[in-house]
Formats: sequence, C-alpha cells, structure tokens
Amino acid sequence: MSTTVYMKLLEQTPEKYDRGMRILTLGRIDDIKQHIAETCVKRNSKVLEIGCGTGKLAALLVQQGCDVYGIDISKPMLEVASTNAPQAQFAHMAATQIDELEEACFDHIVSTLVFSELSKDELDYVLDDARRVLKPGGTLIVADEMVPSRWWQRLVFYFVRLPLAALTFLLTQNTTHALRSFEARLEQAGYRVRSTRQYLFGSLGLVVSEPV
Amino acid sequence: MWDLLKDFWLLFGRLFPFPVEPGLRKVGDPDRSSPVLVTCNFELTVREVLSTLKRDGIDAWLLVAPTKGVNAWCAGGAGDFTADTVISIIKTSGISKLVDHRRLILPQLAANGINIWDLRDRTDWRPRFGPAHIKDLKAYLERNKTLTERKHRLVDFSVKDRFVMGTNLGFNVCLLLILPLLATSYWIPSLWWKSLLLMFPLSVACSLLVFWLPGKVGVQKGLSLGLIVAAIFVVWAHFFGGMTPWALIAWVGWILLVSAFVGYDMPSWSPLWRQDLKELLLGVNNTHVEVVPDKCITCHMCDVVCPTGVFGRNPETNKYEVVNLDACEACGACIENCPTDAIVNNFREGVCSCPTCFIIDGVSSVKSKLDQQKNSKLPII
Repeated sequence: MSTTVYMKLLEQTPEKYDRGMRILTLGRIDDIKQHIAETCVKRNSKVLEIGCGTGKLAALLVQQGCDVYGIDISKPMLEVASTNAPQAQFAHMAATQIDELEEACFDHIVSTLVFSELSKDELDYVLDDARRVLKPGGTLIVADEMVPSRWWQRLVFYFVRLPLAALTFLLTQNTTHALRSFEARLEQAGYRVRSTRQYLFGSLGLVVSEPV
Repeated sequence: MWDLLKDFWLLFGRLFPFPVEPGLRKVGDPDRSSPVLVTCNFELTVREVLSTLKRDGIDAWLLVAPTKGVNAWCAGGAGDFTADTVISIIKTSGISKLVDHRRLILPQLAANGINIWDLRDRTDWRPRFGPAHIKDLKAYLERNKTLTERKHRLVDFSVKDRFVMGTNLGFNVCLLLILPLLATSYWIPSLWWKSLLLMFPLSVACSLLVFWLPGKVGVQKGLSLGLIVAAIFVVWAHFFGGMTPWALIAWVGWILLVSAFVGYDMPSWSPLWRQDLKELLLGVNNTHVEVVPDKCITCHMCDVVCPTGVFGRNPETNKYEVVNLDACEACGACIENCPTDAIVNNFREGVCSCPTCFIIDGVSSVKSKLDQQKNSKLPII
C-alpha cells in the first residue's frame, strides 16, 4: 500500500512533464522554443529533434516549413507528440542511438531540456555523434538548464533554482540536473559556439554551436 | 556528515530512487578476457555488487547502466532498463575496445525489461542472463556455461533480506500514516507515538516471520500476527494495565487493523509474492499465464528468466508448460523474452508484485508487446 501510494505520486505522464518544466523554467521554456523556431532555424530545413517530448517544438518547426524528425525514449511522450505535430515524423530512439542515422543528413539538431538528463558518458557520446549527423554548416541548438559561470550568478542560481526545483518536484515529481560548464564541453567535443542567450540569471541557456 | 545522512536515508528509504553516475567500473584487475557484467545505477545495488565481487575475488568489468537510479527489477518493469539502456551503456562506456570476447552477463531480474533477442540482434555482443543473486555469480562463472543452474535462477528471501525489508516496510508505513495519526492527537494525545511504536516492530516481525505465519495472502498473515500480539497485549493488560474494558477493546481492534494493513503491504516488499488487489480482497487467483504448445520452440528462455520457477519441461513433448502458477509474480519476464510470443496472460489487468507495474496498468514490457501485436508501430526514419 505505501509502495502503491508513492509510485502513484512518482508516476510520470506527458502532461505532468510539461507542467513541471513550465514551473521549473518559470514559463520561459515556451519563449525559448518560439525563439528557436523563429530565429535559430533556417526555413524549410531538415531538423532532428533529440528528445521531442510532447512535440511542442516540433509543431513550431513544422510551422516554419521544416522537415522535422523527432526521437524520444518514452513511448507515451511520442504518442502525445504525434498528435501535437502530425506533420512531423517520430521514432522511438534513445539519444545515444543517433549513430544509427545516416551521415550528414540534417541542417539542424535541436534539443531542449534533454542533455541535462544524460549521464556524462552519454553526453560526450551524443555530442560526438551529432557532429557526424549534421550537414556541413549545420548547427546544434541546445536549450537547457545550466549552472552559471559567474560566481554572483551562481549565488542567485542556487537561491532561485533550489526552491523552484523543490516546488517542481512537489507538484509534478520531475527532476533535472543542470549542466556544468557546457560551453567548455562543447569546445572539447569539437564545436565552436556561435551564439548564446541566457535566461533567468543564467540558469537557462540557449547555445547555438557548429562543428569545427 | 553528508555521507552519514546518505547512509541513514539508504537504510530506510530504499523504496526511493538513488542514482550513482552510470559508466564503466573496474572491479579488481580485469584484463581483455575478464567477464563483462551489467547492473543498474541504484546506489545500494552498485554497492552490493562491488562488495560481493571484491569478497569473491572476481576481476571483472562492470557496466553501470543509466536506469534512473532505480533497482534492476523495478527499472525493468517500468521500462527504464531495456535493451536500449544496455546498448547505450555498451556504446558510451567503450567496453568493446577493452575486451576481446563478446560475452555479456545481464542481471536476470531485469529480464522483465531487457529483451535478450532484441539485444543480440542489435549488437555484436552475446548476452546471457546471469544468476538472480550476485552472491551466486562466482559459482556461475566457475561453471563456465552459458546457462545458469536452476537453483541460481530462483530468488530467495533470506533472514537478512527479510529483516532489512521489514525495517523499510515499517519506516514507510509510519511515514504514510504519521500525518493522519498526528491529527488524532487533538483528541487522544498519546495515540500517535504509541501507534508508531506498535507499527514498526510489527512490520519487522511480520516480515521476519512471514513464512511461518498462517494464511495464504498478506492480509491473512498480518492478521494472524495481529491476533498473537493482541493476545499478549490482553494478558499484559489483565495483570498490569488497569484499563477500562472499552479501552482494551479499542486497542485490540487498533492492533488488528494495523497488523492487517502491514500484512497487506508486505508482499510488495518481497521478491516472492505479487500484490494483487482482486486476489487480496476477493480471494480468487486472478493471475493467469500459459504457454501455447504449438508456438513453443523449446528454447527454454521462459524458464531461464523466471525467478520463481513457474515453468517446467514436459518430458513427453519436450515443450515448456506452466507447472506452478501460484508462484507467478506476473513480472512479465517470460513474455518479454519469448521469441515466438507463445505465452498468453492476463497481466494487463494490473497484476504485479512490483508496485510500479501494479500502478502503470500492467507491465510496460508486456504492454509494448501487446501494442506491437496491434501493429501500431511508429514510423522509423
């Protein structure tokens, strides 16, 4: 019984996930997705979305005339995604399986709030492989929770984020682990950072980078 | 200080996920022919695996797969420990470059999530299921056969495990009931702490004595323990208590209620019984599983993955059949790993020992198998 109650609380559903992420980012995640679709991605290009979730971004990209391929590890998420963005194509795949995709076939790879859920080894592997999947001149667009680099921002980050993370967990049982020094890791993996944008005192970052 | 807090939490809060960093761990001094083992990234599991391997003097490569900090059995049932997870850890750990062989030993209790045929088809590795308990790994390796011995496939519930699970059961029952109990302190000030003092030892006792308590299902076992405790209480109250008859009756009733609740919760803390509401409340056997003889190709995978020995070989036809349905935990491992889908079941009606699956409307692996049969496949790039 106690186990049953806890597991019911901890059960994950796509709706709960969306709600959780909106609380955790104070609603900014929707703005970021809008920004990605409108300014970071070329119109009518071919886009791979790693971890498409409920397909919100995929739907926005389709509106821009993009050819969208979404992958996600969760089947319930994919079911919701394919109703939210019927024109996009979806497949049940883990982020580490993008090495099964053809070489140089995407103009952009986008990923929001996914890389922070990967383990260190997995992230390195995905970054390595994303470079291969991108066409020459293609970009990797990542929006995620990041630990800010400046000390005073970090202070604000811990004060703002910890209560926010606790609240998110209480309401929706979602957790994430913010990325640390992500730009340095990108450079190590052979990318050049083209532009970055910061939200919420640097705790949310949008990084556009291209393979060198 | 942090370590102490962590250990305390792990002592009682083992129901909750606790992740460690996934990746490759060297155990002892492994070389290019050392065995490659896979496990989940639940802190306690990794600790136990590492200490057991060290004790047994086994040199091995240990792949700690990203299962969201959940143990092998529950992660398998919830769909977080699947062939995909194993493929991910094989790739990201770079193990292929470190060894010459391709033998991969998987945890047998994750068979409800890992489809071994799928894994074999999609990698160049030769996966096989190891023993159910890590303590039997040494014997398995020394035997040097692909198949585990039957006695190593069956889970046991030793005194140590029963004690540990009993304390966790007690902790969680107390945690669950502390708020309602505190609310009663307005009327009966001492009820809450007396109840906690009652529930914790009762849980430990129920878990320790579970094999000897009369009764078929958890509630009955809990009630029989409650009757014993209530009898002792009445005798004690008669000589020393000086209670009014009404207070005595109320306490006996409360003891029986609490023990029935503890007994009801007990099966989900064991590796042996399913937690089936219909069975518990109506007393009917609601779990059904059977092998379709025409489809069975005698590959014995159902028997290999079953932790409770449900299957047996028919000596005449050589095919497998259900020989011990009562032991079935509805974990879905046999269904996941049957290459010809020869096993039919009614698991979807929410029957499972694993509380996660119990909630998510049947076992996820079973569910996906059923979905596949409906041809509702997603388009592949």
